[in-house]
Amino acid sequence: MPFLQQFCHALYGSSFGTMLRESNNAFSVIESVHVLSIALLFGTVAVLDLRMLGLVLRPIPVGSVARGTLPLTWCGFAVSVTSGFLLFWAEAEKMYANPSFRAKLVLLALAGFNAFVFHTTIFRRAREWELLTLPPWRARAAAIASLTLWSGVIVAGRAIAYF
Amino acid sequence: MFVWLHMLFAALAHSQLGHAMQTSRWGFALVEMAHLLGLAFLGGSILIVDLRILGVILKNESAVAIGRSLTRVLIFSLVVMAISGIALLSEEAEKCYLSPAFRCKMALLATAIVFYFTVHRIALRRKEMGTSSLWPRAVAVISLLLWLGVGVAGRAIGLL
Amino acid sequence: MKKMLALVPALAISCVAIQAHAHHSFAAEFDITKPVRLSGKVTRIEWTNPHTYFYIDIVDSNGKVTNWAIEGPSPGALSRRSWNKDDLKIGDTVVVEGYRAKNGSNLANGRRVTLPGGRKLYGGSPGDGGPGDDGTDQGALPPESTKN
Repeated sequence: MPFLQQFCHALYGSSFGTMLRESNNAFSVIESVHVLSIALLFGTVAVLDLRMLGLVLRPIPVGSVARGTLPLTWCGFAVSVTSGFLLFWAEAEKMYANPSFRAKLVLLALAGFNAFVFHTTIFRRAREWELLTLPPWRARAAAIASLTLWSGVIVAGRAIAYF
Repeated sequence: MFVWLHMLFAALAHSQLGHAMQTSRWGFALVEMAHLLGLAFLGGSILIVDLRILGVILKNESAVAIGRSLTRVLIFSLVVMAISGIALLSEEAEKCYLSPAFRCKMALLATAIVFYFTVHRIALRRKEMGTSSLWPRAVAVISLLLWLGVGVAGRAIGLL
Repeated sequence: MKKMLALVPALAISCVAIQAHAHHSFAAEFDITKPVRLSGKVTRIEWTNPHTYFYIDIVDSNGKVTNWAIEGPSPGALSRRSWNKDDLKIGDTVVVEGYRAKNGSNLANGRRVTLPGGRKLYGGSPGDGGPGDDGTDQGALPPESTKN
């Protein structure tokens, strides 16, 4: 058995994983936190993306919007990853084989990579363009990629139950 | 008194939409996904507006301007969620009609929407004028709790 | 417009075969024209979220053994109907009244399960429209079916 599969098997069979999976309420509560956290994670980054597309909050410089929303997005990410990891722990063996779960992780990595590229390149020069209502094409491309990839993460996450 | 409401739910279940949703293999999934994406956009916009009122973020920017701009996102998301919500409802209308979680959600939703376009709007203007700080903040907290309640009640429909 | 772009991955992922574990209404997953009344020994219990399953061995008149999966609601929902994990034991003989999966597999929705000792459990929700639904959380007995 490949190492990753062994790891998933171990998590699934652990007493903690089993307890979560068979729980009356814990699993449901954690899952609900995970689902609702998309407002904190994706909802806030979406507003920043929409600002970069010149669709909302036009009088406010992009840098100011980012300063307001990014801490919220990071909070959302922390809650999503923590709750998500717990859900994964409970279902690890099933998730290993689940194509939608794998797709979700790939999209998550791509969303992270997009953010990384954005923050280390065009956003570094934000002062040059942040007052524009319509930022340069690289920022807009990053915004569209962000909206698409994070939507994809949510869609793939929902589809897990269908496989 | 609620017989007509019950009949409306029954009509929805027996409609073409209802039949399509009850028998579709992936149509239901798509509608759920749209509902979730709407939730994210709605949640994000209300979070930012209310955290602005609470003075947590974007303190140097106009609260009214932020509210006006993000209300457009909120309305758009509400429309997406209403349409997808009706479709989801048509799949199990009778179950929802009888469900205490669903009734709670609808009550909270109606309250949240009315609250947003009345009391909340006034609070934004008061915040802008800078006259009182406590009352607008209380309104922002109530707003966040109402919308959070809608989300939690929505989850409960499927879990109870 | 951005929202439409964002829905493209949704369409791509959704256009793949869907298996029985999805949330469908009763009508989408189970066949109302295929009632089953199964009596068998419990071989396996999966007391898991989001759906519970237990498996029974059915022995037909020729002595052939087939294994069936019986689907039920989540552990939390069952506990609210006063059914807990240790109420069902491997080796117990139970009677399951329900409806077979549309795809014809050995999967049934357990509308009414009779545990050894006679206690009956209803597997639906009020208003879900499945057989036995009478708007309460105890449900009504499905009509006597001939299939075994």
